[in-house]
Amino acid sequence: MHLVVCLKQIMDPELPPGDFRVDAQKKEAVRGSANLVISVFDENALEVALQLRDAAGGGKITALCVGPESAVDALRKAISMRADEAIRIREEEFPALDAYGTARLLAAALRKLEPADLVFCGREAGDWHGAIVGGLLAGELQRPFVSLMAGAQRAGDLFVLRRQTDEGWETVECAGPAVISVTNDDANQPRIPKVKDNMMAFRRQIPAWGAAELGINAAEINGPNAALEFASLGIPKSERQCQVIGGESVEEKAARLAQKLADLHVL
Amino acid sequence: MKNVVALLIAAPGGLRRTEAEVLSAGRRLADGLGGTLAAVILGAAETSWDGDAAAYGADRVVRVEHAGLAEYQTEMMVEAARRACAALQAEVCLAPSSTYGLEMAPVLAQKLGAAVVTDVIAASGEAGQVKITKPVYGGKANSELIARKAPLVLVMRARSVAVLERKAGAAAETSKLDVQLDAGLAKSRIVERKQEASAGARLEDARIIISGGRGLGGPDGFKLLVELAGLLGGTVGASRAACDQGWVPASWQIGQTGKKVAPDLYLAVGISGASQHLVGISGAKHIVAVNKDEKAPIFETSEAGVVEDYRTMIPALIEAVKKHRAAQGK
Repeated sequence: MHLVVCLKQIMDPELPPGDFRVDAQKKEAVRGSANLVISVFDENALEVALQLRDAAGGGKITALCVGPESAVDALRKAISMRADEAIRIREEEFPALDAYGTARLLAAALRKLEPADLVFCGREAGDWHGAIVGGLLAGELQRPFVSLMAGAQRAGDLFVLRRQTDEGWETVECAGPAVISVTNDDANQPRIPKVKDNMMAFRRQIPAWGAAELGINAAEINGPNAALEFASLGIPKSERQCQVIGGESVEEKAARLAQKLADLHVL
Repeated sequence: MKNVVALLIAAPGGLRRTEAEVLSAGRRLADGLGGTLAAVILGAAETSWDGDAAAYGADRVVRVEHAGLAEYQTEMMVEAARRACAALQAEVCLAPSSTYGLEMAPVLAQKLGAAVVTDVIAASGEAGQVKITKPVYGGKANSELIARKAPLVLVMRARSVAVLERKAGAAAETSKLDVQLDAGLAKSRIVERKQEASAGARLEDARIIISGGRGLGGPDGFKLLVELAGLLGGTVGASRAACDQGWVPASWQIGQTGKKVAPDLYLAVGISGASQHLVGISGAKHIVAVNKDEKAPIFETSEAGVVEDYRTMIPALIEAVKKHRAAQGK
């Protein structure tokens, strides 16, 4: 069983809003002192893959990342969590990549690898929140796409997937190969790597593939999303003025808050 | 760009808020572009959907019915939607902001050769182009995108669209589109559905939400919130921090990684106000915060706040609400 997990490296989303700045010219966030991390749902996706492999008692997990040189750290983290292989796709060769381009690069890498039984993505990236690369990748590969999975099990030739929906839960059966997107859940909290695995991952060489290795023309990689004009990026201003409800005692504050709720017609 | 299509996925019962939002967003776009709005109903919805779609602004209603669409199935739905978009020469296609709509959007876009944007909080049409606002970086920033080329597939953020007033008696031309769908297209199958158990109304539908965060310090704090929610007829929610600690089920989570809610009252208790949480409550009408830390960012987003320890404040509020009601004779 070969499982491929697509990861993105992003600026730590836990950066407090007060420290968050954007470069309006470049239309991107200013990294400042923020760490680079694996995008949150991608780590959940890796965790689901690890659990699936471990339950099967064998198999191989390959982590794929379209990213700059720094993305090696994200891939080493995946190795430290016990992914078996990791490959970086050299984003620097593909400037201004759109979501279609990213999906096409991943598809090209997947065709070069041994056939995957399941391909995992996070439900959305923690920076741009596109939630589209997985679906586009499935389209490029002409494979089914099943989204918002919390967990996966194998049952014979089928994969049994647990999906979080608006209403509750669904069990979805799907024959591989397929592309699935993973959402966060109690059952797929990413494991903490062991110290010895961190050491092992630190020494690991991570291969990088570019246009030549993937047999791709960088000028033709983008799709229709590249035609969208990115007009601006800005920090929205909060216009709410907070009315502080004070009082001499807790009881007084509570009485005033109750009155406030009544004024808002919610009592 | 003039031909706007709102995709509706049939579900048991009448037309819901999810569909009303897609139609309302579509109507506004069509008006801005000087175009028309077609509602495409995928699957056999109740007949009342035709009139309701018209009431929320559809100029025409196209029903796509096929045995293969009786249950949601990604490939079948996408193929049906693709055919409908082709038949209607759709230039802007809005998918519902539901689990299924979000799943279909990129797959459909790929087949249509369309640009695709999800989690959109504003989309307006003018002079043949569509201006799109999409929050990024966990809601810490907004991006503005301009689409000049069709086709375009959009998914609005759930609860971010103000639903248009229902125009009772509005009529739309209704037609059926026959599609031949090969059952072999279906590669996955939903074998079981489970409704989520929640105390009170579903978070997404709740009029009042009392929500707790890391500041509660443990699962016991939530008992007070449950008591207050019971008194106010509300539902209890939580921040990611509280869910990650295992104090309450993950299904209670509100935020970027949880549910997006739009209650009349959102009472945030012991919630600091991380931007990823605020993303989930941007649709709330009134946000009120209780936090012992006066510097908690949640106050910047709240219209009223009390700086107080919830352990004393919530019991006092429960008493105050009872007293208030008694005084009102309720």
